Amino acid sequence: MPETLFQKVWNRHVLSTTDEATLLYIDRHLVHEVTSPQAFDGLRLAGRKVRRKDLTFATIDHNVPTDDQLDIRDALSRRQIETLRANCLEFGVTLYDIQSGHQGIVHVIGPELGLTLPGTTIVCGDSHTSTHGAFGALAFGIGTSEVEHVMATQTLWQGRRPRSLGVEVTGTLPDGLEPKDVILAVIRAIGTGGGTGSVIEYYGPAIRALSMEGRMTVCNMSIEAGARAGLIAADDVTFEYLARKDRPFAPKGKAFDDAVADWKALATDPDAVHDAHVTIDASKLVPQVTWGTNPAMTVDADGRVPTLGELPPALRDEAARAFEYMGLTPGTPIAEIPIDVVFIGSCTNGRIEDLRAAAHVFKGRHVAPGVRALVVPGSEQVRSQAHAEGLDQVFIDAGAEWRQAGCSMCLAMNPDRLQPGQRAASTSNRNFEGRQGPGGRTHLLSPSMAAAAAVTGRFTDVRKLLAR
Amino acid sequence: MKVDDTDMKPFIVHRGKIAVLDWADVNTDLIIPARYLKRIERIGYGPLLFADKKYVPGGSPAIDAPESHGALNAEFPLNRAEFQGATVLLVGKNFGCGSSREHAVWAIAQAGYRVVIAPGKNEGFADIFEGNALNNGLLVIEVPEADWKRLADAGQVGGVEATVDLKTQTIVVHDGRVPEPKVAFEIPDVQRKRLLQGLDTISETLQYESDIARYEQAAPSWLNAASA
Repeated sequence: MPETLFQKVWNRHVLSTTDEATLLYIDRHLVHEVTSPQAFDGLRLAGRKVRRKDLTFATIDHNVPTDDQLDIRDALSRRQIETLRANCLEFGVTLYDIQSGHQGIVHVIGPELGLTLPGTTIVCGDSHTSTHGAFGALAFGIGTSEVEHVMATQTLWQGRRPRSLGVEVTGTLPDGLEPKDVILAVIRAIGTGGGTGSVIEYYGPAIRALSMEGRMTVCNMSIEAGARAGLIAADDVTFEYLARKDRPFAPKGKAFDDAVADWKALATDPDAVHDAHVTIDASKLVPQVTWGTNPAMTVDADGRVPTLGELPPALRDEAARAFEYMGLTPGTPIAEIPIDVVFIGSCTNGRIEDLRAAAHVFKGRHVAPGVRALVVPGSEQVRSQAHAEGLDQVFIDAGAEWRQAGCSMCLAMNPDRLQPGQRAASTSNRNFEGRQGPGGRTHLLSPSMAAAAAVTGRFTDVRKLLAR
Repeated sequence: MKVDDTDMKPFIVHRGKIAVLDWADVNTDLIIPARYLKRIERIGYGPLLFADKKYVPGGSPAIDAPESHGALNAEFPLNRAEFQGATVLLVGKNFGCGSSREHAVWAIAQAGYRVVIAPGKNEGFADIFEGNALNNGLLVIEVPEADWKRLADAGQVGGVEATVDLKTQTIVVHDGRVPEPKVAFEIPDVQRKRLLQGLDTISETLQYESDIARYEQAAPSWLNAASA
């Protein structure tokens, strides 16, 4: 029977299954400081161990100050970080600590280390674990009870097998557009709950044309459409990424060749059928900007904040609350909205290609008066690479702040956050109320659009700057 | 033997007051803002539920002092006097979307709710939230939209109680009408059994040890993460 990529990866990991419940083996467990302390406590209380500490990897990302990583002034942040250190020591889990050379946002370092491999199951107590699906892995976020369960058993119970949602992206992405525009357009099309109960497989020529970094951006935000996971079948782009010398945990030599032969079989069979299907034409896209308080509240950069009458009745209540929270008048052109803060970084857009795209716009320009711009690499490795390419100097010359690695202003758990009423152009993944700080207003967009907002002080279609 | 406040209580039948939060797409950042996730405890989250909505701006509790807070925000629906002490929460579609934080479920359960009811089959709750709820013995129920509306209309009156019976899979509203409004729901058998018995999943899974070990022995060498 023909199978989809998702079904193949799922079936490979089934230990026991009935119609209603399946026990899956988990190949990689990534851990960070926020969602793990109660799980380690649970193990301790029950006298249990981490079953496969060789498959469990930890880092510190959410609480890290990005101006000086070592100067953690918040006592609770410090306690949470020290708790992870103590737990990793006690349970024998490898920790990529601050300034180890490999610290960073958990979804940035997993792929960098070669831990993220096609056909594997990967979990983490973090919803953006969907990022790793870019490699053809089945990767999804879990809660803390499940973190404890995976630590103790290296397995996870799932309910019914999720449905498969095919998202085909045809055509060629125009110049000035980025993978972020693709995924925002997908979420806008299917809605913030459109993927609930499903796993998305992205395919089509516009997906094949993306680098691994771009594919990670797309899969990262699958959860913002409600999907548990997003997958892209591995191909030569994937294999080249994994063959690089600086992927310590990727297989080497003959093991790599064997693995590639296996991975090539992990594509959706030609006559396999997804349970549902959506097509997006990349060639017709324009840069996307969110206006509201969920990531489906998105419009074209040359568009306007919608009016209530333009929205389906079912969305009006939520939109009315969003207008108020965002301080926006319905019908306002996006290009007329001034911004206070620009954040470039996060597990969505904190990789080297994202920084290159932003630097391309910043080069020879300056951050607009009154605007604060933060550029935050997703990992220590990304930071080193940016230094090697001279990107840091481009940001500094443009008047942006060049930071150290961490989650930073994505979620207001460290000193980088918005003040009440401040409006941000942000390359992160969630524009929820208060996400970047209580009262903060978030607009999501691509790194080059964020840089364009930084230099013009308002939302500006980056293609207008690049055309000059 | 694990004995503490976090042990999963069995859920069989529950009668309690209804509260209604008729908002769609309530995300887990709204349920509990990220700053409270700096806490490393598993308890103490009740007062932090909807912290940035429940209190007036600037009134939300300090992270290390959940019980200390400013004035309540009179406009937040769950602050209605008639909803105080409620244990059955009616919410809009796609409840619990966004972050995987189990703290959202801890906050709801520790604020006293035993049941959350959302409209729409497969649309009511976000996937991760639903799994987290199950793991904490918080019963989450999806009912057809028309049924949800009946329950919500009855609950909006204020002070109305309902009985949620997991054995018979029914919700009965005690609002004085005769006969009492009744709504049926369905929970998959495996989950229902777990909730009814309050099972410790890890002990259960450890019975699959031989399957796990067999899988590990058969795994290709490249799956074993060895640093080169």
